[in-house]
Amino acid sequence: MTATLELLGRIGLFGARVVWATVTLQVPLQTFLDQLRTVILRCMLPVIAVVFPFGMVMSLQGLEIFALYGSQRLLSPFVAAAIIRELSPVMASTLVAAQGGASFAAELGAMRIKEELDATDVMGVDSLAFHAAPRVLALTVACPVLNLMGCISGIVGGYFTAVIMEGEAHGVFMSEMWGLTGPADVWGTVIKTTVFGAIIGLISCYLGFNTRGGAAGVGRAVNDTVVYSILVFIAANYLLTSAFFGGAMP
Amino acid sequence: MDRPTAPPAVIELEGVSKSFDDTRVLDDISLAIPAGQTTAIIGASGTGKSVLIKHVIGLLRPDVGCVRVFGQDVATASKAQLYALRRRMGMLFQDGALFDSLTVGQNVGFPLEHHRKDLDEAQRGHLVEEKLEWVGLPGIADRSIASLSGGQRKRVGLARAIIMEPEIILFDEPNSGLDPLTSDAIDELIIDMKRRLGITFVVISHDIVGTVKVADHIGMLYEGRLVEFGPTHQILRSSNPVVMNFLRRNLDTSWLAALNAAGTEGVP
Amino acid sequence: MSFVAGIGRFCIFLAAFFRATIRRPPHPGMVLAEAYRIGVKSLPVLVIIAAFVGTNLALQGYNAFAPLGGQRLVGMFVSTAGIREMAPVIAAAMIAAKAGTEMASHIAVMRIREQIDALEVMAVDPMWYLILPRLLGIVLVLPALTIIAIFTTLCSAYLVTVWQLGLNGAVFLEFARQGIQGVDFIYCMTKGLVFGIIIALVSCFFGFEAGRGPEGVGRATNGAVVTVSVAVVFLNYFLSELFYG
Repeated sequence: MTATLELLGRIGLFGARVVWATVTLQVPLQTFLDQLRTVILRCMLPVIAVVFPFGMVMSLQGLEIFALYGSQRLLSPFVAAAIIRELSPVMASTLVAAQGGASFAAELGAMRIKEELDATDVMGVDSLAFHAAPRVLALTVACPVLNLMGCISGIVGGYFTAVIMEGEAHGVFMSEMWGLTGPADVWGTVIKTTVFGAIIGLISCYLGFNTRGGAAGVGRAVNDTVVYSILVFIAANYLLTSAFFGGAMP
Repeated sequence: MDRPTAPPAVIELEGVSKSFDDTRVLDDISLAIPAGQTTAIIGASGTGKSVLIKHVIGLLRPDVGCVRVFGQDVATASKAQLYALRRRMGMLFQDGALFDSLTVGQNVGFPLEHHRKDLDEAQRGHLVEEKLEWVGLPGIADRSIASLSGGQRKRVGLARAIIMEPEIILFDEPNSGLDPLTSDAIDELIIDMKRRLGITFVVISHDIVGTVKVADHIGMLYEGRLVEFGPTHQILRSSNPVVMNFLRRNLDTSWLAALNAAGTEGVP
Repeated sequence: MSFVAGIGRFCIFLAAFFRATIRRPPHPGMVLAEAYRIGVKSLPVLVIIAAFVGTNLALQGYNAFAPLGGQRLVGMFVSTAGIREMAPVIAAAMIAAKAGTEMASHIAVMRIREQIDALEVMAVDPMWYLILPRLLGIVLVLPALTIIAIFTTLCSAYLVTVWQLGLNGAVFLEFARQGIQGVDFIYCMTKGLVFGIIIALVSCFFGFEAGRGPEGVGRATNGAVVTVSVAVVFLNYFLSELFYG
């Protein structure tokens, strides 16, 4: 228990240093943009490929239920809501953790064991600001971007099953789509995934930056990154969802 | 001094060529490795020595040509035939290729567990301990692989390679990654095994000093071709410029002269 | 079109695997050891994630139905969505994340350290020795893990519904019960089984074909996770279409 708290404390300090580096403009812009591009390109296809079938399945299951009550027109708002509020953010973030976070942990870990980070410090440049911080920021920005791609992909998947495969009316699908969700939900999903991206960025870059123990240590950092990132953002998901959508606490 | 008639060839390569991605790694290699003797294949790093040895054990197949072991074509053998051949061979990999999740004893006894079901655990343990003693590491059967040094890993790897009493043992760069003292110790170990087992050894190496101590025959690979092959003393006196260049770069010239003068046939 | 090449290599791999294992029963001890390791490794993460999925199913279900006056339906929403879709996919995702990546990286490390070659040289078939026990281990353990996922999801959804949302627990349970039929459990298990087989075969495939050096291990592990994720969600759709379509 204390070990976990200690770890959280250290990650917090790491995060504070990243924020400071950003605010004092010590983070190299080019590195940030390069890493951002890398993450988005790497994760784009997997995110789209993973959320699309979820949209399809939502349509499939949803139609079956709504058809019982003759209320098929409720399908598209249902699909849009499910995708935008939960499925896309969670699936996109999981893939960002597994693809983006894991590879940043591996990169920084390799730099650590090859003493490249020490070399940077010795040259009078803060290795955290120069190497780690741009990656943390890249993940924080990439995650909501990828989530939006996922949302579109999921809704298209839902459309595909409902309209193209099951023959529902195109017009009805499109016009009813925003019945349950509004701008607040879109903001909500963007905020959620920005938070998730920051979590993934902090955990993966912290673990990579602080790798110990050679190549085996890098392997451990990568494994731990994926698991811890997912655990933490899933917990955060619950807290954020509670905050946005509230409970009916008397 | 006279050379006995060459013993029958237990491994034969005929016109073997192999390419990887447009690079011709082996170019028309023809070679007959005699039984019961130690043959070394030398050459600079990356000249295809490991590739050659992998053809012998059937891990790779030639693009052109054929590889025969005990008279059986390796490339066309069925899996059952190939596995039967492999049970008569042993191989020491560069880093030992031991299984990290098993103890030393479990590693050495691994072939017995899978191929000698007639033995019980006690008999296996006895054989494992015996082989470990042969390679100079008695009593370490319960240690983990991670706790071994590089030299110790090679010895354990060798113990595993000999436990099924093979007729051929292949050595992939036995001296690589070792300091000079340990490297000498491994050479001594190989010579000791030669005397003890009297079977066919094929050694791949770029360490010419060790090779000369250990080998009866030497073949030299250069840019994928076999530039010369013959008894050790003949290679040492070779007039082939490539061979001479390689030897000169790697052997102390006074020692080379002394060896030539003595007319030795390999093992001093 | 390296994707197509990849599919081709995977098919060759599968063919070789079947040939190697079809009449060779595995070592029971090894299968049980793998099953235990996979189960133990995946369980903690699985329970935590399943719990949070339950919480969010409850919250989102409430959010969707309450405005229409249908908050009592939350129970039905949770049980239907949970058992038909979420539980099998989550169980699969967590097992893929923990056990699958461990399989891919372990086998990849063996590949780059020539240990798989060593098995071949010792005339022990690496597919029979390495992959078969893992495949059977997952198959043994997955049904149990799926049930645990279902149970955890329902429990946490119940707790959220009663404690956080202040609804009637008995009503929740009643509607939850109405949302599922016995056959749903069978479909759920079947999905889990199919996913488990895919996780084992694809992760081991990536490990087996790993390239050189530590980068090869990283690429193998990465490739395994992404491929398994995509394969599982697509298969999930097709199976749902098959079962419920």
